[in-house]
Amino acid sequence: MPQDKFPDQHLPEGEGGQAQHSDARRTFLKQSSLLTALALAPPAALKAAELKFEEKVAAVFEQVKVTLGINGKKQKLSIEPRTTLLDLLREQLHLTGTKKGCDYGQCGACTVHVDGQRVLSCLTLAAMADGKEITTIEGLANGDKLHPMQEAFIKHDGFQCGYCTPGQIMSAVACIKEGHADSDDEIREYMSGNICRCGAYPNIVNAIKEVKNGGHKV
Amino acid sequence: MKDYFFQDTVGKPMDRVDGRQKVTGAAKYSAEYELPNMAHAVLVGSTIARGSIKSIDTKRAENAPGVLAVLHYQNSIKVPGYVQEAHPTEPKPAGKPLQVFIDNQIHFNDQPIAVVVADTLERAMYAAKLVKVQYNVEKHATDFHQNVSKAVLPTVAKRNPKHGLNDYVRGKEDAYKTEPLKIESEYVIPTEFHNPMELQSIIAHWEADNKLTVYDKTQAVIGTQNAFAKDWGIPVQNVKVIATYVGGAFGNGLHTWPHETAAIIAAKKVNRPVKLMLTREQMFTMVGYRPHAWQKVGMSATKDGKITAITHEAIGQTSSYEEFTESTLQQTRMMYTSPNVTTRYRILPLNVSTPIWMRGPGEATGAFALECALDEMAYVIGMDPLEFRLINHTDKDPEKNLPWSTKYLKEAMQMGAEKIGWRKRQLQPGMVKNGEWLVGYGMGVGTFGANRGRAKVKATLHKDGTLVMQSATTDIGPGTGTAMVQIAAQNLGLPPEKIVFELGSSLYPPSPSQGGSATVATVGSAVHAVCQVLKKRLTSMVAGNSDTSFKGATVENLTFKDGYVSLTASPSARLSFGDILKQQNLPELEVTEESSPDASLRQKYSMYSYSVHFAEVQVHPLTGQIRVTNMVSCADAGTIINAKTAGNQMIGGAVGGIGMALTEGAIMDHRFGRYVTKDLAEYHVPVHADAPNISSLFVNKPDLINNPNGTKGIGEIAIIGVAPAIANAIFNATGKRIRELPITPDKLMMV
Amino acid sequence: MIPFQYVKPSKPKAAIDTVAKDQTAMFIAGGTNLVDLMKRDVLNPEKLVDINKLPLRKIERENGTVRIGALALNGAVAEDKLVLEKHPLLSQALNAGASAQLRNMATVGGNMMQRVRCPYYYDTAMPCNKREPGTGCSAIEGYNRMHAIFGHSDKCIAVNPSDMNVALVALDAVVLVSGPKGDRKIPFGEFHRLPGDTPHIHTNLQQGELIMAVDVPENPYTKNVHYLKVRDRNSYAFALVSVAAALDLDGSNIKSARLAMGGVAHKPWRLQEAEQFLAGKPANEATFRQAAEVAMRGAKAFEHNQFKLKLGPNTIVQALKNAAGAV
Repeated sequence: MPQDKFPDQHLPEGEGGQAQHSDARRTFLKQSSLLTALALAPPAALKAAELKFEEKVAAVFEQVKVTLGINGKKQKLSIEPRTTLLDLLREQLHLTGTKKGCDYGQCGACTVHVDGQRVLSCLTLAAMADGKEITTIEGLANGDKLHPMQEAFIKHDGFQCGYCTPGQIMSAVACIKEGHADSDDEIREYMSGNICRCGAYPNIVNAIKEVKNGGHKV
Repeated sequence: MKDYFFQDTVGKPMDRVDGRQKVTGAAKYSAEYELPNMAHAVLVGSTIARGSIKSIDTKRAENAPGVLAVLHYQNSIKVPGYVQEAHPTEPKPAGKPLQVFIDNQIHFNDQPIAVVVADTLERAMYAAKLVKVQYNVEKHATDFHQNVSKAVLPTVAKRNPKHGLNDYVRGKEDAYKTEPLKIESEYVIPTEFHNPMELQSIIAHWEADNKLTVYDKTQAVIGTQNAFAKDWGIPVQNVKVIATYVGGAFGNGLHTWPHETAAIIAAKKVNRPVKLMLTREQMFTMVGYRPHAWQKVGMSATKDGKITAITHEAIGQTSSYEEFTESTLQQTRMMYTSPNVTTRYRILPLNVSTPIWMRGPGEATGAFALECALDEMAYVIGMDPLEFRLINHTDKDPEKNLPWSTKYLKEAMQMGAEKIGWRKRQLQPGMVKNGEWLVGYGMGVGTFGANRGRAKVKATLHKDGTLVMQSATTDIGPGTGTAMVQIAAQNLGLPPEKIVFELGSSLYPPSPSQGGSATVATVGSAVHAVCQVLKKRLTSMVAGNSDTSFKGATVENLTFKDGYVSLTASPSARLSFGDILKQQNLPELEVTEESSPDASLRQKYSMYSYSVHFAEVQVHPLTGQIRVTNMVSCADAGTIINAKTAGNQMIGGAVGGIGMALTEGAIMDHRFGRYVTKDLAEYHVPVHADAPNISSLFVNKPDLINNPNGTKGIGEIAIIGVAPAIANAIFNATGKRIRELPITPDKLMMV
Repeated sequence: MIPFQYVKPSKPKAAIDTVAKDQTAMFIAGGTNLVDLMKRDVLNPEKLVDINKLPLRKIERENGTVRIGALALNGAVAEDKLVLEKHPLLSQALNAGASAQLRNMATVGGNMMQRVRCPYYYDTAMPCNKREPGTGCSAIEGYNRMHAIFGHSDKCIAVNPSDMNVALVALDAVVLVSGPKGDRKIPFGEFHRLPGDTPHIHTNLQQGELIMAVDVPENPYTKNVHYLKVRDRNSYAFALVSVAAALDLDGSNIKSARLAMGGVAHKPWRLQEAEQFLAGKPANEATFRQAAEVAMRGAKAFEHNQFKLKLGPNTIVQALKNAAGAV
């Protein structure tokens, strides 16, 4: 199981995970006075409490701790459960190679690999990726040496504006790995989740064919 | 001029200079800059189409965690110079662009009425939903067909009887009506959206009270700089606009939009850099679109294929506060020999946001009607539509009565017909089959003005032999930097890998907006000019050197190649560019040149780019499923600077045209004046499976009247004429003529 | 999204108890529809119970059925050897849905639970009985091109958007459910509902009930099957109409058939009368056309989806032709 790569260090292992934990906190906050909260709160909560917004105090507690493997590097993070993997990558980790094109799973620009499978990071809650290995476009090349798919995209001009490109490339690599690149039509069907508004589709298909037929290791 | 016959660098399918950045994720788009202490802004849109705000309750939003400000018309910072003009490069529209947060008036649904700023994106998005608004609702008009009788002549035409948007009559007005062999058809295209993959974004950063930097998705760096300087009453040089990478735009970066000012207001208010990225839904309401249009074409022809008359009328929608117009009827006036041509253009103001040019703009709309009508006419007289077009080909501009600068459309048609296998086409529809599928072939012609503007380029030759050029143009995808490097390499005799072209910053010498397919002609000419001056300067340096064989040399008897200067007559003696500078004790040689078109040539010649598109489609007779199975797009676009990127442009235009023909169209529920197809699951842009093999072919003959590089634009003609080619192919396959786009299975089903 | 709590239990009972006792809690599996709806303010659960740790991913043969765990991914099911061998129709339907990325995220249980795609349901600025009971159905007199022709009510005319569901209803699947009151089995055709007067009730699952697996009984429909989806573009779009067709042929005669449609009703629409009509008849276009007419009995369209009355039967005919011709 992929989850085993990073053993949980923070979850009180037991039924409900950290449920009781957070539940208690929330109930506590709702029921007790701010003064009581202050006695327990970390400095950030203190500051929020000064503003006398109870919700602001609550917000400080509503973070979950996750450990993500990102491009081979283990990262321990504290995040809001509502943070998507896409926004985590772009806004907090400054890995902006992964793009936001629609935020609803309708364009493929945010495609990353999670445990080797291509998925959409805009519909993945970062908390749900806890313990998983994530590869973004920034992690595809081997140092300065580009991945064959990156080389092929340059050679075949598989892009224009470049915005969908990281998603196309992540998807293209997976498309070959999955064994879905045996014909032009199969490539087109299995790449249809990645929209290129510039319309470089035929060049992208050519790039994928070159990598497939070149016997490159993807 | 002979340069263009050495195809050393120009024309080569060179890889893009920024390819590596784009494939590694290193290319930074406007929302991707990291600034300290950055806050996030989210816009709140109105939920009615017309009326006013009765009350706005922001308490919950303000109290939500992390919220820094909630701004709206009651508490917004006032924009001092708030008469937000369009870019100087745009023709001045009547009315004015929407100004944000100035009053409680609602002009369209999802109009930005408040901006929420918070310390994180999640918190800003959440708080934006907590803003509660009550309205005084007024009756709105959004339904084009219900209101079509209210269409008017654009104000610019009313003001100026010579304006091109006035009614046009060549020969006899509406002459087709009295002819025996004629057609009369109405065509409709729905509102279509640019939907570049990058959401419109801006980071606004007040570096000081009167010093603004924006990282902005725009096609006009200088235009944006001027607009914001004027808005905020600060010196132009105090506004810095950065647009190094633009994730597609297709025209929607040719206007300054309300969200940009909202972000700047927000940044001022919270005194932090503010990032604002529109949602995909907001891309349907806040940054323009190709306007819904109704058209009618009447055409007559003789039995032997001579067009005797064309009347083409068009009505395009605009907003209630700003008049948007485009050249929908231009192609009809100049493309065919017809002695009688009438055109009438009107606009229809509705309670919707303002449109903006979308790839191919009005010409693509107009070509859909004209080129379908041509197909219909050819069918009536029983003639092959290719032959029909060749018969009506014109060797001079019948509108302006001027010769063309260049026109190789016939050559393009022949190349394309050959490639697609036009001979397989049958005159009668439904005759060709592939299994159960009906096969059809269609064609469409496109044209767009071969525009050229004024641009300035700074070039710095370093003593290591490298050249850095700068100009404030952008690259929204065509590969501007790559083309400029190739033009410089060709003109200066320097390997492309030693040349860098920097763009997308207002710190660079001015270039116009990247629109109207004019960038290579405009900026490329300035690159050409700067290279000529560099050569002259290098020549005078070597010529002044008394102890070498170069003494007294002139540009004409020198050869510039591979970064070396040599005497053409005795090439063994050569000096590298760097050594020339070193001899002069110069660390670098800097030259800035401006290039403008010669206006007098426009009085003598008519200048256009041309395209012709051929489509092969298959239609399933039972299910109405449509597949474009092959496309050939050919262009007369002058000199091709880069076969790879130019070909890609043509392919991209064809894919865009497939969308226009088959999949794209916004639907509004007029009871609410609100779109019901406002994301990429409901508004269908083509996907991989919709794009067949597409061949792009170029005549590749220079137009040296237009500019010294001989180029003509590609971006627009790549899509103009594609939609009619596909619609005509569907007719040829099925005998069904669908005149309202997009042609979806249900429409074929119900004919 | 509103701030919410997130928990990830590792035993089904804990997950079930958490959701059973908290009306504001929801299960999350792939999240491909739920996260989307949360972003748009359509669903606002205060607690998400992530069920991905639960051991529900297996696909195995069990007493003459193929048992597919609720957390088996759509992409994995579509390519599973057992599924390809025993239920190729299911594989085809799954591959017709969404994109490769989404199929790598979406689970079988989640696919069953996905909400309608009606634009009025998605936009909180317009009325919708499903989202806010009693506000009215905007689609009935509004934009209804994608909407139902069967089983609609004056409260809701939205359709179930799943492709997988169409195949599963045709294949007589059974849903294995575990809940606070114990386990139960729901025939697939009874899992989804017609809108009636309560379109805000999306399925027949009770609060806290969790889909554990889907059983697809083995059947003779392993060869002559076809899933045909007609849509506005060639991939990555919801169906205008789709048809799952399965034939058991004896030479050129039909021994028995299975037929269901998607994109036409609030639930995957099984066409049992048409199936019965097909049984014992020759497998030819005339038979298929007659079966399609039987299938379409009772269909009622709205202003913008009249075409489905024609596209529906045509797609049935074509799907059956393809199924009969399949090797």
